Amino acid sequence: MNSDLVIKDLRVSVEDKEILKGVNLTVKAGTIHAIMGPNGSGKSTLAYTLMGHPGYTVTGGEVWYRGHNILELEPDERSKLGLFLAFQYPVAIPGVTVANFLRAAINAHRAEEGKDPKETAIPMAQFRKQLREQMAALGIDESFARRYLNEGFSGGEKKRIEILQMAMLEPKMAIMDETDSGLDIDALKIVAQGVNTLYAQHPDMGVMVITHYQRLLNYIKPHFVSVLMDGRIVREGGPELALELEEKGYDFLREEVASA
Amino acid sequence: MTMKTLPPLGEISDALVVEISRAAGEPAWLTEQRAEAWRFFASAEPPYWRRTDLSKFKPEQVIAAADTAATSLYQEEDLAEQGVAFTTLAQALHTHEAIIRQHLGAAIEPTRHKFLALNAALWKDGVFLYVPKNVSVELPLTVVFAMPIPGGAVIPRNLIILDDGASVTFVEEYHSVAASDQAFAAPVTEIFLGNNSTLRFVAVQTWGEDVYHIGAQKARVGHGAALEWAAVNLGARVQHIEAETALEGDGSRVEWVAATFAADHQNLLTAPWLRHIGAKTEGHMDFKTVVKDQSYTTFDGMIKIERQSRATVSRLEEHALHLSPKARSDSIPGLMIDTNDVAKAGHASTSGEVDEEQLFYMRSRGIPRDEAIHLIVMGFFEPVLDRIPNDALRQRIAEMIEAKI
Repeated sequence: MNSDLVIKDLRVSVEDKEILKGVNLTVKAGTIHAIMGPNGSGKSTLAYTLMGHPGYTVTGGEVWYRGHNILELEPDERSKLGLFLAFQYPVAIPGVTVANFLRAAINAHRAEEGKDPKETAIPMAQFRKQLREQMAALGIDESFARRYLNEGFSGGEKKRIEILQMAMLEPKMAIMDETDSGLDIDALKIVAQGVNTLYAQHPDMGVMVITHYQRLLNYIKPHFVSVLMDGRIVREGGPELALELEEKGYDFLREEVASA
Repeated sequence: MTMKTLPPLGEISDALVVEISRAAGEPAWLTEQRAEAWRFFASAEPPYWRRTDLSKFKPEQVIAAADTAATSLYQEEDLAEQGVAFTTLAQALHTHEAIIRQHLGAAIEPTRHKFLALNAALWKDGVFLYVPKNVSVELPLTVVFAMPIPGGAVIPRNLIILDDGASVTFVEEYHSVAASDQAFAAPVTEIFLGNNSTLRFVAVQTWGEDVYHIGAQKARVGHGAALEWAAVNLGARVQHIEAETALEGDGSRVEWVAATFAADHQNLLTAPWLRHIGAKTEGHMDFKTVVKDQSYTTFDGMIKIERQSRATVSRLEEHALHLSPKARSDSIPGLMIDTNDVAKAGHASTSGEVDEEQLFYMRSRGIPRDEAIHLIVMGFFEPVLDRIPNDALRQRIAEMIEAKI
């Protein structure tokens, strides 16, 4: 079973406007792969489409992961397959505590067809211990476990809670959608450290880091960099490509693409 | 359960009402009150409520209880030593007649409509709670009203009186174990909060599916007193509850939350009134409604800031969540301000289906759609469930809500 994420000629429209115009991209298991691109290039569309957001219409192409064309799967099925999306704008769920939400998510992952959910559920003590440890590692105050998910959280707190969820769910392929946006440098370091720790513990994990800026890549070192522009991957390379973009901006690439 | 019953309402006469009262050894003033209320009931047309469907309801066939068999009281502390009275209202007439006479009907006018008059005329069930000055009762006191006979009626009268500085949690539950034939509940609860007293009041309506529930509740809140009121409405075919908090005393306040969940063909109306009368009173209302299937709910709320009030703070939030396209929830919030001296008055309202972004977010974590909706609905009601003081009751309500989703 291939644990690489293989995107083939992916075309996606939002409200009849084509945003992704044939994306070809492979994120290998066990690698950190940065997707860079200017505003409006389709980065978030790619992230949401991979996770199955109903507002994005796939008009062509395939996305293969662990033996499935995941475009045919529901978002929760994709999650159970090992996919995870760290949201750029995490959603608040009033009345549902961080702890209860996480427990529901973990138990959904542990559920097996034909088995009583009570049997497969994570034991309470084990869950509490894991949650406490992960929260401590991410510098999240314990009181957040009892707070309603993302309700009244600051931008930085929301991003940390995204990483907390990732750490608790231990995905095999994580997509980080502009995780650096709205973070100050201290928060950015904590978030990056959370990702790095998880990656170190799970070296088979693939990580797709979507970002506009090179800044995040100082803390999460990518093996590969692909550049998305106007709905297509226009350049691929190693970490040096990110530095080149930082130095020259996206315009030089735009000119190159236009003249090609 | 066997119980003594009265003849159907259509066959009861003035004379019988008087006779029953006298036979029970009730004081003359009460007999007179009952007779007067009965005359009103017998002559008044049923109220016309545009949003409460009484077209299939036949009051003349209603058979009311002749004793207090539908009332069950639960307390975990020995209260007598502290001078607390917690007993049936009928029983309390023997020990607390003066205070009952002073308060009975002093919050809710029996002639406001036919069914309030019915209650005043025929109540047998019901509870009397009196907490003396500066006495705090730690554990919740609960009264449960059960629907004792299929097709019967329960007409409870509750009188809750807190003296100055007293503090208590009181739970009233309306509950039938199994669905029954068309049955009728017409409860009235009057609450009096002395100065600087604190009441946590929880009202839970979980009747079976064929019950008509026409009730009224009113709390009069004294100087510096605090009322926390949580209502849960899950049962009944038709519910029409008129509820009122009157913040009469200076510095009095109320935190008022409610959870209503209607499904199938339920028709549930709640009409909460919040009246600001004293100076520097503060009211917060947070009413949550979920509708499903072909049910219909109405929130007919009103905040009235009276002329003599000063520096009022008032906030109303009401939110409705639709789980089915055919379900309907009407919201008719009103705000009447008769003074220029208002510190803050606000209103927020939403109504809509389950948020797709919330659903997607939860599903992206592996939670299946159905379960995500469960979590969202439970979360929606959480601020109300959180205020139910008794774990077993909260658990039971949570399970009833889960089962309804």
